[in-house]
Amino acid sequence: MGARTAMVTIDLSVQIAGLNLHVPTMTASGCYGYGSEFEDFVDMRSVGAVVLKSVTRKPRMGNPTPRLVQTPSGMLNAIGLQNPGIDWYLEHDVQKFSKLPWKVIGSVAGFSVDDYAYVCEHLAQRPEIAAIELNISCPNVAHEGETFACDPDLTTRVVRNARSTTDKPLIVKLSPNVTDIAAIARVAEAAGADALAVINTVRGMAIDVDARKPRLGNVTGGLSGPAIRPIAVLAVYEVARAVKIPIIGQGGIETATDALEFFLAGASAVCMGTSNYADPRVPERIVAGIRDYLLRRNLRSIRQIIGEANVGFANPYQIEGDEG
Amino acid sequence: MTSLAMQRRVYDAYILDRTELAPDVVLLGVHAPEAARFTKPGQFAMVMLPGGEQAAVALGIYEAVEDRLSFMFFVCGRRTHDLARLHVGDALSFFGPLGNGFFLQDESWKDVVIVAGGVGIASVLLPAQMLLARGARVRLYYGARSDERLVDAQRFADAGCELHLATDDGSRGYHGYISDLLAQTTEKPDGVLACGPTPMLRATARVANELGAPAQLSLEETFACGVGGCWGCVVPITRTSAQAPSFPPLECDGSDVVNARICAEGPVFWAHELRW
Repeated sequence: MGARTAMVTIDLSVQIAGLNLHVPTMTASGCYGYGSEFEDFVDMRSVGAVVLKSVTRKPRMGNPTPRLVQTPSGMLNAIGLQNPGIDWYLEHDVQKFSKLPWKVIGSVAGFSVDDYAYVCEHLAQRPEIAAIELNISCPNVAHEGETFACDPDLTTRVVRNARSTTDKPLIVKLSPNVTDIAAIARVAEAAGADALAVINTVRGMAIDVDARKPRLGNVTGGLSGPAIRPIAVLAVYEVARAVKIPIIGQGGIETATDALEFFLAGASAVCMGTSNYADPRVPERIVAGIRDYLLRRNLRSIRQIIGEANVGFANPYQIEGDEG
Repeated sequence: MTSLAMQRRVYDAYILDRTELAPDVVLLGVHAPEAARFTKPGQFAMVMLPGGEQAAVALGIYEAVEDRLSFMFFVCGRRTHDLARLHVGDALSFFGPLGNGFFLQDESWKDVVIVAGGVGIASVLLPAQMLLARGARVRLYYGARSDERLVDAQRFADAGCELHLATDDGSRGYHGYISDLLAQTTEKPDGVLACGPTPMLRATARVANELGAPAQLSLEETFACGVGGCWGCVVPITRTSAQAPSFPPLECDGSDVVNARICAEGPVFWAHELRW
């Protein structure tokens, strides 16, 4: 097997809205710092891009602790978008990204349509930032953050305004906490999104029965981890049928098999978040596992299987005649 | 000089020994020569669970000698329950060593009080050993629920610590909180180190302040990543602290406190800098 392996080149590269990824495995916003925090523990060549923690127009202290609770097959978090604000970020943090050997995608959060456009415009101007993700789906800021991804009109306005500020690849991160995620996906596409990140965390709560009060300082939180994987796979499946732009699938991906579910449902790339906390080498294992899967089936490229389990979904790479 | 990156990595170790120090208190010794050599007193590691489906657990590094490093933990949830079921010879991976540990560079500390509550004892053996090796007097104030839970107290006595024990039920030593026992001392130490539940740390900080002794507290909080990537484990500290992150900038809200990450900027903080 070893000799044959050496002969065959497996192509794991994908293109997300003009952003070239040498591997289709990314790390999810808010989970991975700048990437530097993890580089001692994982071969970062297995990370195609790091989606940075969201930045807002004004600095934010974030939520009170506890901000994390372990739950069955998952984790609740309510960090609350702690960040230094865009001015400080541009002046002190962004320059550090140029030294990083991996691509970084800026994440923008806000509380008004103007906030998003303002932060997006200023962040996207910086050459260190390869693309912008609009986090319109944070469940952990009271009454505001997630509203955007739950309302088609607000989604349209926030995406359209942000779109008008930059030509860089614009990824819109959708919320699973909606009745019809495909409907939101369609309006995001129509408003100018280049790609969609599917999904953000699922709203949840845990109560301490001894203390008789909520476990999280913020009372409610966002659930991540394998507990939400089937929810995320379905969301990718439905969104893939609704739009033509690429999808970055995420939600409880721990293994190559998990990642492959997302590709087969129609994702062109995947993000890992919580699973890095179980084993920081997860990206390495997933890349190796995908390579092995393709090799065993005589496939040459990850692009060949995108959407294959999604009847009626047209693989954009195959439409373009990319695969022979 | 070996680079930091060489020391901080994933270690695929295996279990050398397993001891039940008390019901539901387990000590696992693992074979990890490089990690043992580089561990600083008060550091922790993220111990990965078999199966890889659950988040790694942050455990204080109890012992670090030659090829062996050990973790002591109370069985109090699914993850520690799973760890407790491992046997000698089983694989056990962890990443670390992490955190800054105690600040022991100042050799003028000749008389040190160490306060430990419950499983907090797991983070204070290494600093006790370092201080004793330096010729310092070490008074260990160690409190637990009951005599049975005062695990490994003799180990500290044998190492040369003066023991002051307390139990919640009075089954051994002082009947009450360890911080109340500490409050009875009239001998001002050069410094205080503490690790244990948050109420005990707060009380210890108060007593140390009354004694006029600087105190370092090793904080506990739920961690997710353990390496500073998720901002899940924060504590408010004064902006002037050397450990304070540089943001948010002061003009944000005029506040003189900032949220520091316990895993990355800590887990040990100076008591007078905490604004909790």
